[in-house]
Amino acid sequence: MREPVWEFLIVNYLFLGGLSAGIFFVSAFCTWLQTDGKPVYPRIARTGALLAPWPVALGSFLLIFDLGKWWRFWKLFVIFRWESPMSIGSWLLLVFTGITLVNLFAWLTEDERNALFARIPARTPGRARILALNRDLGSWKRRLAMLGFPFAIGVGIYTGVLLGAVQARPFWNTNLVAQLFLFSALSTGTAALILARMVEKGPRDLAEFRFLYTLDICLILLEFFIVLPYLIHGQLSVLAVREALSLVLGGPFTFIFWGLFLGAGLLLPLAIELWEFKPVLMGSGTLHITRGLAMTAAGLVIFGGYVLRYVFVFAGQASGFR
Amino acid sequence: MANPKRYAMVLDSRKCIDCKACVVACKAENDVPPGVFRNRINAEHGGAFPRLRASFDPEQCHHCDNPSCVRVCPTGASFQREDGIVQVREADCIGCKYCMIACPYDARFFNEETRVVDKCTFCAHRVDRGELPACVETCPSKVRTFGDLTDPRSALHALLESRRYRVLKPQTGNGPQLYYLL
Ligand code: SF4
Ligand code: SF4
Repeated sequence: MREPVWEFLIVNYLFLGGLSAGIFFVSAFCTWLQTDGKPVYPRIARTGALLAPWPVALGSFLLIFDLGKWWRFWKLFVIFRWESPMSIGSWLLLVFTGITLVNLFAWLTEDERNALFARIPARTPGRARILALNRDLGSWKRRLAMLGFPFAIGVGIYTGVLLGAVQARPFWNTNLVAQLFLFSALSTGTAALILARMVEKGPRDLAEFRFLYTLDICLILLEFFIVLPYLIHGQLSVLAVREALSLVLGGPFTFIFWGLFLGAGLLLPLAIELWEFKPVLMGSGTLHITRGLAMTAAGLVIFGGYVLRYVFVFAGQASGFR
Repeated sequence: MANPKRYAMVLDSRKCIDCKACVVACKAENDVPPGVFRNRINAEHGGAFPRLRASFDPEQCHHCDNPSCVRVCPTGASFQREDGIVQVREADCIGCKYCMIACPYDARFFNEETRVVDKCTFCAHRVDRGELPACVETCPSKVRTFGDLTDPRSALHALLESRRYRVLKPQTGNGPQLYYLL
């Protein structure tokens, strides 16, 4: 087996990029869903808007840090090569991060904005111009959400395209990887919002949780129904792909794939969420929200999303043609 | 304007005695740091005592016709010259290592001294002066023949016309340009 070239920093970055994309997507969705001109789930929307920029910013930082010559990273932005997923991805990341930051700002209350701007030291050059930026962007929320949708999807899917485009690594070289990463990104984002809403004090809004649970259950199921064809299709494919899959079917990544990703990261949280959701499904009541269970499920989804990136980054690099 | 050249290499692996003179010559010629190599000998041993078999296949960058390393490079640092030689422009490489992953032949490595990706250049600096790559010149058992595929008078042409050959991993579609005589 060859030595991996991309290591944990890349795993972290793929995960964090996806996490932000997912958080933003759900938050934007909640902004976009309106009744009587008001967002239906304003608290999810705001929590998401406040959280979304940070994982991707950290991830991009890690990515740049991982370069052999990090100070040359600007070269990514003076050259555009449509054939290279990394080139497309860098631009997507840049624009997406920009949108999440503006969006965060749009969701700040007036007091929060004032507090933020009050921190600018008096002698900062161009202070007046910076202060002029303190404007109420609240009315932009819905437009920002719509503008951000394609970029969030783009960031969520591109991390999978980045790997899938490498024809030399049969473990990756299928378009299913891109879809899998996308749904996983959206699902981890949803889970992060469930967690964030859980830790906040105050009465729980059942409608909010019902929405998040519905979304997460759908996303986990979608993910599951991509993993299945991925495995079946691969098994029916050429020898190199079958050999690549053997890395998770009896090979060194078997436990991580089946036990940690599929079992602990996908099916177990699905079971918990379905259990909590059962009264709604049966039409016999509202969903339970058991704090411990809900947080466990959300934590497991996030864990599963991370393990997915781990398995794909490392198993993919171990695969090859003979 | 003359037709562009297309440089390639023919390898007569059966003549290879695993002396590694080419490996050493390449390191000396190109200042390759310790621990990493631009070319290698893939040794394979088989059979059971006393009937043993050993085969040695020299390998390096295949200077592919349709190089996946060039395709994925985000900055254009990896590129293909008119004459087919695939290069890394050191000043443009950011060291993202995407090309290393995309090469089906594992021909690339990370050079800790330059902090960018490195690989066989077919000794382009020598070829441009009309000389042969260092590995070709050094090989004591004449395993290697380097030349221009478009030149019908080249020794390389004669070999490919008269002998059967194979390329490695043709199914990747990269169009490798190291020809191994059978
Ligand atoms: S052998 Fe690898 S590094 Fe060389 S041209 Fe082909 S893909 Fe690129
Ligand atoms: S490591 Fe350098 S040559 Fe390779 S893909 Fe990245 S920028 Fe291009």
